[in-house]
Amino acid sequence: MEYLTKPYLEEELKEILHPFVKEWFFNTYKSFSKTQLYGVMEVHLKNNILISAATGGTKTLTAFLSIINELVTLADQGKLKNQVYSIYISPLKALSNDISVNLERPLKEIKEIAKKHGKELDIRVGLRTGDTTPTEKQKMLKKPPHILVTTPESLALMLASFKFVELLKDVNWLIIDEIHSLAENKRGVHLSLSMERLQNLSPYLARVGLSATVAPIEEVAKFLVGERECKIAQVDLVKKFDLKVISPVEDLMNITEEKLQHELYSLIDKLIQEHKTTLIFTNTRAGTERVVHHLKEKFPKNYTENIGAHHGSLSKKHRLEIENNLRAGKLKAVVCSTSLELGIDIGYIDLVMCLGSPKSVARFLQRAGRSGHSLHETVKGKLIVLDRDDLIECSVLLKNAIEKKIDKIHIPTNCLDVLAQQIHGMAVSDMWKEEDMFNLIKKSYCYKYLKKEDFIEVVHYLAGHFASLEERYIYAKIWYDEENHTIGKKGRLSRVIHMTNIGTIPDETSVKVKIGEVVIGTIDEAFLEKLKPRDIFVLGGSTYEFRFARGMTAQVIPAIGKKPTVPSWYSEMLPLSFDLAKEIGRFRRLIEDHFVNKATKKDILKFINNHLYVEDKAANAIYEYMREQYLYAMMPTDKRLLVEYYKDENENKNYVVFHSLYGRRVNDVLSRAVGFAISKLQKRDVEIGISDNGFYIASPNTIQATRALSLIKPEELRQIMDKAIDKTEVLKRRFRHCATRSLMILRQYKGNTKRVGRQQVSSMILLKAVRKLSENFCILKEARREVLEDLMDIENATKIIQEIKDGKLKVEQINTTLPTPFAFNLVLQGYTDIMKMEERIEFLKRMHNMVLAKIGKEHKIK
Amino acid sequence: MEIHKDIEIVGLGLKFKDNLIIGDLQIGYEESLNKQGLMIPRFQLKDIMKELEKIFSKYKFKRIILNGDIKHEFGRISDQEWKDTLKIIDYLQQHGEVILIKGNHDTILEPIAKKRNLKTIEYYKEGDVIILHGHKIIPDLSKIIIIGHEHPAVSFKERPSEKFKCFLKGKYEKSTLIVMPSLNMLTVGTDITQANFLSPFLSGNLNNFEIYVVEENKIYNFGKLKNLI
Repeated sequence: MEYLTKPYLEEELKEILHPFVKEWFFNTYKSFSKTQLYGVMEVHLKNNILISAATGGTKTLTAFLSIINELVTLADQGKLKNQVYSIYISPLKALSNDISVNLERPLKEIKEIAKKHGKELDIRVGLRTGDTTPTEKQKMLKKPPHILVTTPESLALMLASFKFVELLKDVNWLIIDEIHSLAENKRGVHLSLSMERLQNLSPYLARVGLSATVAPIEEVAKFLVGERECKIAQVDLVKKFDLKVISPVEDLMNITEEKLQHELYSLIDKLIQEHKTTLIFTNTRAGTERVVHHLKEKFPKNYTENIGAHHGSLSKKHRLEIENNLRAGKLKAVVCSTSLELGIDIGYIDLVMCLGSPKSVARFLQRAGRSGHSLHETVKGKLIVLDRDDLIECSVLLKNAIEKKIDKIHIPTNCLDVLAQQIHGMAVSDMWKEEDMFNLIKKSYCYKYLKKEDFIEVVHYLAGHFASLEERYIYAKIWYDEENHTIGKKGRLSRVIHMTNIGTIPDETSVKVKIGEVVIGTIDEAFLEKLKPRDIFVLGGSTYEFRFARGMTAQVIPAIGKKPTVPSWYSEMLPLSFDLAKEIGRFRRLIEDHFVNKATKKDILKFINNHLYVEDKAANAIYEYMREQYLYAMMPTDKRLLVEYYKDENENKNYVVFHSLYGRRVNDVLSRAVGFAISKLQKRDVEIGISDNGFYIASPNTIQATRALSLIKPEELRQIMDKAIDKTEVLKRRFRHCATRSLMILRQYKGNTKRVGRQQVSSMILLKAVRKLSENFCILKEARREVLEDLMDIENATKIIQEIKDGKLKVEQINTTLPTPFAFNLVLQGYTDIMKMEERIEFLKRMHNMVLAKIGKEHKIK
Repeated sequence: MEIHKDIEIVGLGLKFKDNLIIGDLQIGYEESLNKQGLMIPRFQLKDIMKELEKIFSKYKFKRIILNGDIKHEFGRISDQEWKDTLKIIDYLQQHGEVILIKGNHDTILEPIAKKRNLKTIEYYKEGDVIILHGHKIIPDLSKIIIIGHEHPAVSFKERPSEKFKCFLKGKYEKSTLIVMPSLNMLTVGTDITQANFLSPFLSGNLNNFEIYVVEENKIYNFGKLKNLI
């Protein structure tokens, strides 16, 4: 790794540019951008490089300029060959379209300049995505594009195709755009192996990664190149920032929900009207629909055709239309979930609004960066808060955004399902020595520490070795010779299976939730399956009673003020980043110090003002909230884990609230580990509720939660958690995803596509069978790893347990009769899950006794 | 446990005098899943044998009545079905006379039956009892009707995702109706607290149906369905 400390000189760049390219460049731009001064030369020299800059930093052109330049030079000399010189990968299909246009325009203009000089340049750009037709693919084979624009999945497809592989044998550059968003999920893990497979074909490949502001940058660079050399260009753009936290009302506490909503929409409308084009992020699909609906309803004159909704559940056609209308400047406002975070060029936006916390600094900067897209414009982002927890979170987030303290991303490693898919891809396209394959895989950052036995286990699985000899032919997808250590293709259908089932993004379908004919939101199909008539559940902050389902719609009636009877559904919710959460904990401590030192209100307000960059009103609200907690009970901080016991007399239920402000991913682990330890002592199911700010455990029995926590040893956490998640819905669900990725469930088989519902049912049967094979079957093991490491955050949870053990984090217990102010929202939200500790048979017996008691009572009444 | 005069729950089957009645086996289910692209390893035959073994270790029978949907595939006989159905029939014949009642999945069962000189019939009557699969209603029923087809199971609010196989006993018109769980060990069955029923025998209100859960060789009488929902 080598950080570039200073940019190249303009003169140096000019020297390497071909006259046509130079002419075009300076016809179009006054001078090189800072990003170009850092990056163009390195790409020209074919060095591996990671370029990190904020949106609008001309990263894409930086990468392409050298490549176009090289191709123009070759073409001019008549040396341009019929081969792919460069591959550009982007996570989005729509983005590929977009880039293709942006890449083709400069090329076209350069070709025109060349023509003026009497030269014909035949430089071709090709686009290959899932939508590319067979005819277009055939054309590509005959006349390969010099620059190939594609997606991670299509690259893997090409690597497994005999004919296409021929085109991939002398690629010079591989550009990975938006690498920060790929690195943190399994698409990226999959891509990391495709990169190695490509490098194996094209040994002189240079890798170019383009990233938004990201941390830790060295890890992302290693993700790009593995163990190879890599330069890092962190381009700090002097952009002007106008970032603010706003509350729609002065007092977030003493206000009715109705009034708050009214003020919220008035504020949103006012801000939209003050700007030319506004982009609003709501975090969830349901939220997006709601905001558009209310704006149209409350301000019919202001919002007609000029407002649009954009989220993942909407049709591709609808989304494209919105994007096009945005670019054409036809829209006053667009409301989206998170879907417009990534870098599709969406034209002129002068205000970005976030309703509710974006939950991470990097995410907020990425969103805010969608405004003032061109280099010297001001980035304008407003965070609108709706409760006091939100206010504090957003204020600390804002501070870190302004001070550029970016939260760290998590890069998944050793994913055995993705590994299975890639081994299958390698086996269908070539014959391998086991050792060569293993070594290639280990060059990827994501598999650097892959154990040989895990690799072999996956190979055995793919070869169908889990079945008896006579049945093995049914399951074998690869051929594995254990004696000679060779791996290859097996079965006529193997390649087709690979081509039709590739990918890492799980299928999900959503079900519309309606009151009569009015759609109020969507829920996941898997969630619907758990609902029974009369169940109360939360959707978009309100409670509803489930009536019945017909096909892909669920009918409900409002259940205002009733407590949910089923866990809330968080699949869509963004988790608060651990780093940001710790910062909030630290802020709490700093405020507490002021209280302890008996600082005056004026001084504390001044401190909040300076520390957080918030206005007086907001500072006052934060002060009041903190003060209430401090006076009523005790302040939980980054050095003190407050555990609060209280009994709800109405429900006859004991609550233990842990003020563990570490984000939902860590709390998911801590709550289940504590819940597991408790229920091991008590052999009863306990209810758990999780939020970013803490968690609670509830049971009709008295709970020895603090003791349970003290019993958890950091080195045993993994073992405890393996057991604690064993019966959860989330493990079943993730198992389905892993089984699909590892080709145990084929979405596409013999011309049939399997619906999600069908996959779901299949995966339940499969899970049961796999458990009979072995509790450590590689795909089940992977599902556990995914739940604990990717969905949850066992790494940081272990650190917290360690801190407790080392005495760095003090656990303090209090008893209250009412939940403290900080615990209020958490308890109110209802439970997330039930820890099933009782054995199936014990549970049945208890249910039986309950029913017997009930029947007995009825008899007496009669 | 006797749930009606002369009718006793034994394992997942019913003992009626000297007959053993067994619900839907659905042999070949795994192979059919394999063909849909689900790479599930095969345990079905072994699991069914284990269940039957438990029953035969305690009771002796003259007749063994397979109450329909013996195999899974409609309209064809798959490899696994040929092999495993014969294995099961051979095994059962060691314990009594085997009677095959046709289910809706058994459109082609005869070729397998013929191999062992067995006939397939639509229903079996003895005394007050008629045993039939239950996918359609036939005229001339008896005072006591025993059907399969529905694969009843039950779940409880506290753990909606955990299901238990169960027997149901209620009324169909003036007859007593008993619904048997399936002996297909791959799936538990259809949750009766949630489902729309398939069998025309179950088209009425089931609130007064009694539920008998069978788990780990014990039978739990849960009383009427209306107590659970």
